[in-house]
Amino acid sequence: MRTGVKIGLLFLTAFAALLLGTGVGSVYVPPGDILSIAAGRMFDLPLPDHIPAGYSAMVLDMRLPRVLLAFLTGASLAVCGAVMQSLLQNPLASPFGLGVSSGAGLGAALVIVLGLASAGLGTFLLPAVSLVSALCTVFLVLFLAAKLDRRMSNVTVILVGMVVSLFCNAVMSLLATGSPAHAQRIQLWQLGSFSMREWSAVWALGPAAVLVCLYFLRYAGELDVMTCGEEQAVAMGVELRRVRGRLMTAVAVLTGTAVAFVGIIGFVDLIVPHVARRFFGAAHRRTLPACALLGGTFLVLCDLAARTLTPPHEIPIGSITALLGAPFFLYLFFAGRREG
Amino acid sequence: MNRKAMLTVEHLSCGYGKTEVIHDLSFQVAAGERLCILGPNGCGKTTLLRALAGVLPCQGYMEADGAALCGLTTKQRAKKIALMSQFSRPAFDYTVYEAVMLGRYAHRSGSLFPAETVADRAAVEDALRRTGVWELREHSVMRLSGGQLQRVFLARTFAQEPQIILLDEPANHLDLRYQAALLESLRDWTADKRRCVAGVFHDISLALAFADKALLLEEGRALACGPVEGLDERMLDRLYGMDVRSYMKRMYGRWE
Repeated sequence: MRTGVKIGLLFLTAFAALLLGTGVGSVYVPPGDILSIAAGRMFDLPLPDHIPAGYSAMVLDMRLPRVLLAFLTGASLAVCGAVMQSLLQNPLASPFGLGVSSGAGLGAALVIVLGLASAGLGTFLLPAVSLVSALCTVFLVLFLAAKLDRRMSNVTVILVGMVVSLFCNAVMSLLATGSPAHAQRIQLWQLGSFSMREWSAVWALGPAAVLVCLYFLRYAGELDVMTCGEEQAVAMGVELRRVRGRLMTAVAVLTGTAVAFVGIIGFVDLIVPHVARRFFGAAHRRTLPACALLGGTFLVLCDLAARTLTPPHEIPIGSITALLGAPFFLYLFFAGRREG
Repeated sequence: MNRKAMLTVEHLSCGYGKTEVIHDLSFQVAAGERLCILGPNGCGKTTLLRALAGVLPCQGYMEADGAALCGLTTKQRAKKIALMSQFSRPAFDYTVYEAVMLGRYAHRSGSLFPAETVADRAAVEDALRRTGVWELREHSVMRLSGGQLQRVFLARTFAQEPQIILLDEPANHLDLRYQAALLESLRDWTADKRRCVAGVFHDISLALAFADKALLLEEGRALACGPVEGLDERMLDRLYGMDVRSYMKRMYGRWE
């Protein structure tokens, strides 16, 4: 199948998932009605008679932002995962696995506990602190890994990432216990949640996701070459230090922003790039767009499961992705072991 | 020497952190020449290659085909010098064609989203055919044998269209047949008078059979540098701390 056709199919699937995610809930809204409601709001048209008046607000102000937020988060995390894996030439590396998400979450938790989140500048402060701590965590993990093992083997990087991740999570739990007023919000954060269904989050994460993804695409050629290893990449003409620094920063920025709004959601950034590569090959100019669409679709469906499996309670989205992701990780790890 | 110098190294020093590994090294490789770098483990062979390839910062003067290397960008340098190491298993699922196309990176223009050009495709096809992996072009690099993989890396090195190829033990872990084929392709490639090869080989006999010039490295300093014909064997003995000729004779005696 041609790549164009496959990408087209992915677009359709993503669109279908968005409609499904918006339609399914306490009351079911059929796709046709969702489209007329959206068109009605956009072009100021009157609603068809069979749609109850309250549906418009429910669909457009509660469900749609949540579903879009899930899509944007999934797309961002998956693309960041793919880039991280290539940067480290390590198919098991991911921002979540490296502790970047936990680091970002810890930064965000600190802002909440210190009571800065509710202030007017909280909307900007939260993502800003979150992405700065994401950045610090990336460099901390890589620094520690390089100190322990000059070759920075798969196992070292993953172990260090896991240790840092556990540490950040422990500190977050401490913070939650220490300030009961914020405990619930922090705990929600630790396993991710899309229950903050606000358009403001979509408007903040959306542009960040689109810009950073385009930025990654601009570096698709460099990313391809960097999978050959650092020494080879330099000998083949890539200005490694500069490019790597920029891309790492971009990963931290996007992961940090996503975490600031929805909390820590693991394994998306590990699973999706693998699936994308299997169908689209390893070349980044194809894999990155595929990751964005697949990741978005995947997280919309996971969120759908989180909302609908155990009504009226919601399963934390991070639990769902971990339930699917942990076995997948093991499979990759052992499959990789057997081959190499 | 009447042939034009392709690679000139003068007073090169480099190392890792505060430890200097290569000390004030000078040598030349002429166009069409094949240089082998010999020395015991830890004498700085690989470090020297890394410095030449621009992977390691260094002091001193280096010139490739008349252009000083220090004034070049990483991309411009990659158009002159390529580095081929012993193969490592690729971690990602590129096809052979895509993997060889990666070698064209240095030739891409600086536009925002650069695309493959006709020249890129021609160079890749030529490299694939030269190394005998054209038939494998749609295969995944993850499912190749070591010998096939090393030929793909050689194709990628050719596709980079450098004038100088640096080799870092390229024949390691290769079956004899692949070793011979690899060195044969490199010999053909060097026949063009505007190219040269400088390589580190694990196997001294292999190195001396392949190269026409030898650089003997002792603790980061040049012990000797000259044609393989008429190489002073006492230097080799000193370098490796043993009687190299009689050892080789014993080793290879059974084939007489």
